[in-house]
Amino acid sequence: MELLKKYPKLFQWLFLLAVFFALCFAIDVPETYKFIRGQAEFVKDPNQSAFVFLGKEVRYYAFDVFWRLPPLLGWLPIWINDSLFFLMNDWMPMEFWNEDTQEYKTRPLVLQITRNLTAFMTFLIELIREILLGGLETIVAFTSWDWIDANPWAELPGLPWTIVAAGSAILAYKLGGKGLALYALLSMTYISIFGQWKPSMQTLSFILVAAPLSFIFGLGLGVAAYKSKRVEKALYPILLVMQTMPQYAVLVPALVLFGVGDHAAVIITMIVAVPPMILLTLLGLRAVPPEVIEAGRMSGCSNWQLMSKVLIPTARRDILIGVNQVIMVCFSMAVISAFIGAKGLGFNLLLALNQLNIGLALEAGLCISLIAILLDKMSLAWANKQVDYFGNLNFFQRNKNSLFFGVIVIVGILLAYFGSIYFKDGYNYLFEVPHNKGISTADFWNKGVDWIFDTFFVYIKAFNTWLIVDVLQPMRALYLRMPAIATLVLVVGAGYLIGGVRSASVVCGLTLFIAFSPWWDRALVTTYMATFGVLVSCTIGFTVGTLCFQNKHSTNFMLNVCDIFQTFPSFVYLIPVMMLFGITDTSVLIAVIVYATIPATRYTIEGLRSVPAGLHDAATMSGVTKFQRLFKIEFPLAFPHMMLGLNQTIVFALFMVIIGAFIGTEDLGQYILKALSDKKGAGIGLTLGICVAFIGLIFDNLIRTWVGQRKKHLGID
Amino acid sequence: MEAFKNSLKTSSEPVKQFGGLVGIIIIIFLTFFVLNNIFGEGDELVAKMKIEEERIAEERKLNKLISSLPSGVLVSFDGTDNFKLSDELYEAVCKATKLIPQRAIMGANFLNFRAHEIYTINGNKIDETFVKWDDEKNKCFAGFVVSGNNVGVDETVKVSGEALSFLSTGIDTRVYFIKNF
Repeated sequence: MELLKKYPKLFQWLFLLAVFFALCFAIDVPETYKFIRGQAEFVKDPNQSAFVFLGKEVRYYAFDVFWRLPPLLGWLPIWINDSLFFLMNDWMPMEFWNEDTQEYKTRPLVLQITRNLTAFMTFLIELIREILLGGLETIVAFTSWDWIDANPWAELPGLPWTIVAAGSAILAYKLGGKGLALYALLSMTYISIFGQWKPSMQTLSFILVAAPLSFIFGLGLGVAAYKSKRVEKALYPILLVMQTMPQYAVLVPALVLFGVGDHAAVIITMIVAVPPMILLTLLGLRAVPPEVIEAGRMSGCSNWQLMSKVLIPTARRDILIGVNQVIMVCFSMAVISAFIGAKGLGFNLLLALNQLNIGLALEAGLCISLIAILLDKMSLAWANKQVDYFGNLNFFQRNKNSLFFGVIVIVGILLAYFGSIYFKDGYNYLFEVPHNKGISTADFWNKGVDWIFDTFFVYIKAFNTWLIVDVLQPMRALYLRMPAIATLVLVVGAGYLIGGVRSASVVCGLTLFIAFSPWWDRALVTTYMATFGVLVSCTIGFTVGTLCFQNKHSTNFMLNVCDIFQTFPSFVYLIPVMMLFGITDTSVLIAVIVYATIPATRYTIEGLRSVPAGLHDAATMSGVTKFQRLFKIEFPLAFPHMMLGLNQTIVFALFMVIIGAFIGTEDLGQYILKALSDKKGAGIGLTLGICVAFIGLIFDNLIRTWVGQRKKHLGID
Repeated sequence: MEAFKNSLKTSSEPVKQFGGLVGIIIIIFLTFFVLNNIFGEGDELVAKMKIEEERIAEERKLNKLISSLPSGVLVSFDGTDNFKLSDELYEAVCKATKLIPQRAIMGANFLNFRAHEIYTINGNKIDETFVKWDDEKNKCFAGFVVSGNNVGVDETVKVSGEALSFLSTGIDTRVYFIKNF
């Protein structure tokens, strides 16, 4: 009894676990339950029960409700689909002028808006693509095909790769100095001589449209949210869901609205990239000291002047970090949007993975990573760069970079011209190295993969079998064995013990949404895979982070490694694991572990770093050993921060599990992938995406609430 | 009641919290209990599923038999070069066949002008197909239903006849010829 009074929380947790396990053991698996039956949603089977809601018929297998809840939200995907169909085909038909046929045509309003939007996006992408690669679509848009036939000189020739490479080096030099310039030059040269120029420029053109538009929208909405509480409140739930929503899931409804191609990819990328921009803009503007705002008002600034001349320049750093985030999201979307027809490196990577040509996939993946790292470093350098004051500089000093670029353009054009004479009968390598005509290491990597398989097959196979049979399958069975009521009691009880009634209600709502959807079983499989990944990632991340923290150089080194790894688009992680483990669940899980270890390591280091130096000194003065200091002072104080790392690890793991559907797994991701190829998949895709987002948000809510309380308790809030 | 309220007020925070936890668990239980009364179908579903499992087992047996048949046309009558089905096989193949391809439908329509007309008007849509074994006549019957709007009149025609031959693809069997005259 004394123990109960001393540790009431522990007792409550033990009670909750006891109830959970009692329920798990008390409720038998129904005789008719088979996991595979979960696949039968929407398939007519005489054994299914059915209900009609909002005119939509939902069919399902009616188990004992304590075991699995009926899919009362099964109408939602059908309703979303029908609504989209209605919006696109029937709602508000209007007369619109058609330029091609020179007559009015009746079209639904939404269809007309989306088509105009896609036409505008296509124009922007083509414009940039033709500046980089050449073409005549843009000229034709302003003139006509007849005019082009009469004036063939007007066709845009595209920039030679030498000019783009040197130009990026100059820009990198201006932003980040010699090191970055050298990296830019080497990366661009590598991309060119390895024959990846055209797809790289296609990807770049898509990013050069998506990133600025996302920046403008993100900044605008961020400012609006800063100015108005109502806007902020309206945006908050969307931002919250979008943060944990797998990017895959957005593809399907966008596919219905905007069709297939680069334009749709740009719009989807914007949908995914705008939320971090809004958040960082809001964060930056909120951090502006009131004195600065007051000074602006005292100087007689109007509201517009205050925003444009005071607030935004003061919050410049956070806003530019937002730009950096936008660019990173664009790169990760460059691969994912290849699923809906975006051209470029992402498409090549996907194609190579699809053919199991690991060498080609590696080449494309490396190019994406190189450009991603380059743009990441450049945007960060821009964010951290101080404004140049050039009052005492002469014209040459002020404009040396522009002048250099001018010279490079001339030299590049001359080189391309000489190239056209020198390589008269073949490809002009000084203008563009055609795709698949450059150096290729694909064969080398493919042979390497074969060698790995030949040499280590027995060991890899043994590891694979052990992991799947002895670890993953039992864990999967354990998760699927949980009755719905037991899961709900555990999650809601945990919410109550951590954050009271409010937190319990939030997690209850989120869990019920998933439980009432037709994909509860799949959600359990997703959670099991993410849990496994998170457990291993956290073990590795916390250990590596703690070890690296012991030395200043290793800390910086590890943070740099995390930085670089974080810039790789998530799909790239699948390549090396596929090289080693082939198309198995093991590959997905190892990719999850590698990907999710990054935030775990980073937040451990950051958390340990956040412990005040004064406490270190006080501890040392008190005569504690290094070990005691770590366990008695640093860990307890850094733990809230490390838990935020755990939060990020869970989100990263969920993202990767969903992407892993591409090479197997039987979780929610697999269904999102299926929805992509389904004509009526928009509703399913979106609902599945919300389910994944809600899994993330359940953990997010629990962890954030706990961290908040812990920080308050430790007095470090 | 008053005493209970007072004791609640005076009880410590951990006790209150524990009470809340128990309360939440009870609420969840009650909700599930109510839902189970509305949506639960325990024993009924077990019975339905068992019948379904028997049906699946039977279908598997038939599929095994079909895969052992030669590919090509299987007939139930004498006088052709095709594979002749024994009486048992004829029944088994009939029970295992689900598909009626366009060839058989077109052939049957050839002798049913109204069905042919509606089939042409509605863009070659078939509402329903069926293949049934008639225990009384010891024969296999197959047919289909076509419907459409013929000059403002909604019409539905059912075409049915004896399935005299089947096409074995090695994976499944399809009705090859419906004798509807």
